[in-house]
Amino acid sequence: MAATKSQGRSFTLFMLGVTVTAAGIAYFSTGSGKLALIGGLVVLAVSFGIFLKIKPDEGEVADKGQPATMRLAGVLAAFAGWAIAVFGLNLSTSVSGRMVTTLVGIAVSLAGALILLPVAANKNAIWKS
Amino acid sequence: MKIFRMASATCALAFLLAAGAVSVARADAAPSASAAELKDAASKAPTTSTLAAGDPAGTITGTVSDVPVSDSKAGLSLGDVANQVGQNKIGINFTWTLICGFLVMFMQAGFAMVEAGLCRVKNANHTYMMNFFVYGCGLFAYWIMGFAIQMGGAAGNGNLGGLQPLIGEHTVSLFGKTWGLFGQSGMFLSGHSYDVGVMVIFLFQMVFMDTALTIVTGACAERWKFLTFSVSSVLMGAITYPLFANWAWGGGWLAQLGTNLGLGKGYADFAGSGVVHSVGGVTALAVALIVGPRIGKFNRDGSANAIIGHDISAVLIGCFILAFGWFGFNPGSTLGASAAGCLRIGSVAVNTMLAGCTGTFGALLYMWAIKGKPDASMSANGLLAGLVAITAPSGFVNPICSGIIGLIAGVLVCVSVAFVENTLKVDDPVGAISVHGACGLWGVISVGLFADGTSNYGGAWNGVSGSVTGLFYGDASQLVAQLVGVSTLVGFVFGFSYALNWVLDIFLGHRVSAESELAGLDLPEMGQLGYPEFVFAAEPEIMRTATPAAAVA
Repeated sequence: MAATKSQGRSFTLFMLGVTVTAAGIAYFSTGSGKLALIGGLVVLAVSFGIFLKIKPDEGEVADKGQPATMRLAGVLAAFAGWAIAVFGLNLSTSVSGRMVTTLVGIAVSLAGALILLPVAANKNAIWKS
Repeated sequence: MKIFRMASATCALAFLLAAGAVSVARADAAPSASAAELKDAASKAPTTSTLAAGDPAGTITGTVSDVPVSDSKAGLSLGDVANQVGQNKIGINFTWTLICGFLVMFMQAGFAMVEAGLCRVKNANHTYMMNFFVYGCGLFAYWIMGFAIQMGGAAGNGNLGGLQPLIGEHTVSLFGKTWGLFGQSGMFLSGHSYDVGVMVIFLFQMVFMDTALTIVTGACAERWKFLTFSVSSVLMGAITYPLFANWAWGGGWLAQLGTNLGLGKGYADFAGSGVVHSVGGVTALAVALIVGPRIGKFNRDGSANAIIGHDISAVLIGCFILAFGWFGFNPGSTLGASAAGCLRIGSVAVNTMLAGCTGTFGALLYMWAIKGKPDASMSANGLLAGLVAITAPSGFVNPICSGIIGLIAGVLVCVSVAFVENTLKVDDPVGAISVHGACGLWGVISVGLFADGTSNYGGAWNGVSGSVTGLFYGDASQLVAQLVGVSTLVGFVFGFSYALNWVLDIFLGHRVSAESELAGLDLPEMGQLGYPEFVFAAEPEIMRTATPAAAVA
């Protein structure tokens, strides 16, 4: 498959949904703003429904999927590292103490981004078959 | 030129008048003396008939008669002159910031050429179109939402007239301190944000944002579905980029690390090694991990095949366009050329030049010495790596340090490209993850190392008095602030981008079909070949023997 009219129409709907949602947020204090927000979110939901519906039209892709658990672990590790770095700033008031906790946080995040997620991506890699 | 001449003339006049006013006051003379001097100056101004004769020397154009008078009966007053001086300052800063923004906008052309040149000819139209459409996607998303999130609480910039309409930062109290999370004013540039200063900062920040977005298209070229690319770019321009940019530049919590925790001057990123390039680079890594490598990139034993781009001339010319645009990127980040230390623009521009130069040397010499050839594409990436790395420290370091930063970046990009390809097994056709991600992070760290404490942008940075000073010049706490920024980039921004694009993968699918990929994306995705009259050379054996069935087997 390739680019299609359905894709074009669903993307148009998506853009409409994003715009109306943004307008709803911008004017949330007014009644019409709240209405626009609800309407925009509905349009967005519909556009994502169509995205999901037309996804199989693409045909077979050179990708066998990645293990979801490992992917989740990788993403959580990235976030956890950031949390360690941020909240670690309050564990110590010394510059060296804060530097250590920040470096530990970076290491944890990198483990998620450069070890867990690449391993997940290559677990069922198409080039292995 | 005219505005500069007017500014100079008016500033000089104002200074003389102010000095005159002070001396007159000291002598207890009548305050009308300054008015008399103004009247005298006005009487000496060239007449209409004199001006009608032409001014080939440029000595009588732009005089006291060009200063607007508020009360024509009373004539020119000191207040009129002072107002004109203020407006000239803002006018100079507006002009400078806008022109620099226009230069940065032109970088899109450079990115398009570099990325398309490094891709195969069968994907040229698709790659160019991604670079073309990302501009529209990003701009629209930023206009309706992104700008408000990023700059909606950024009031207070004196260079651009105060930006007072932008007073809507959402904050949270944590550990006894108040931290900025995101801006809230300026959506659709409507209401109070319909303001001349806000328009200038919008244009300048928008082109920066779009630079970050276009980085991702390079890493995912030749297999990214156009629909998913479009949706992903809109969401990045509306949410991902603006969030981090707010934290660093919009008065958010990273910028407050100095005022709240005493960490140097807070996270300092002069022109965006972190905000622009690292955000783009780590997002590129996240999406490249999801979309997977191109068919034929890796062999069964995991070794990588070189998939050569189709136009090295486009790559190198694109690099020069980017290097040209970078003079808008870095010096423009002073957001002015008048007052508040803005004359450092010369230093910023030279630092930018030097780092690009040493970055090229670093990559070229590394490749020549290690691989035996002065590789053109890696030399181009070396230039970009140097420019990316100097973007954050360009306003805080001296020329020698900028040369060192660029040189390290030039070598780093070569090492990183090999690491991403051979160790991570991530396919990045243009080296965007290494150029913008790795070297962007290096740029952020280098501020904490090399900032020499001589810059003075209005006497403070991020609300902390003094100049940004790095570890090698005596302030280790600045390095901690920079590392917190790095942690946010590799932790939050990467994680958020990955999660967001994972969801998109579930609903839309990031990857084109194997059939489209093998045929080249120009016809299936765009409906038109990039070069319809070219006779394509045969591809390597591995690509010629591949079939859609085998590719998905």
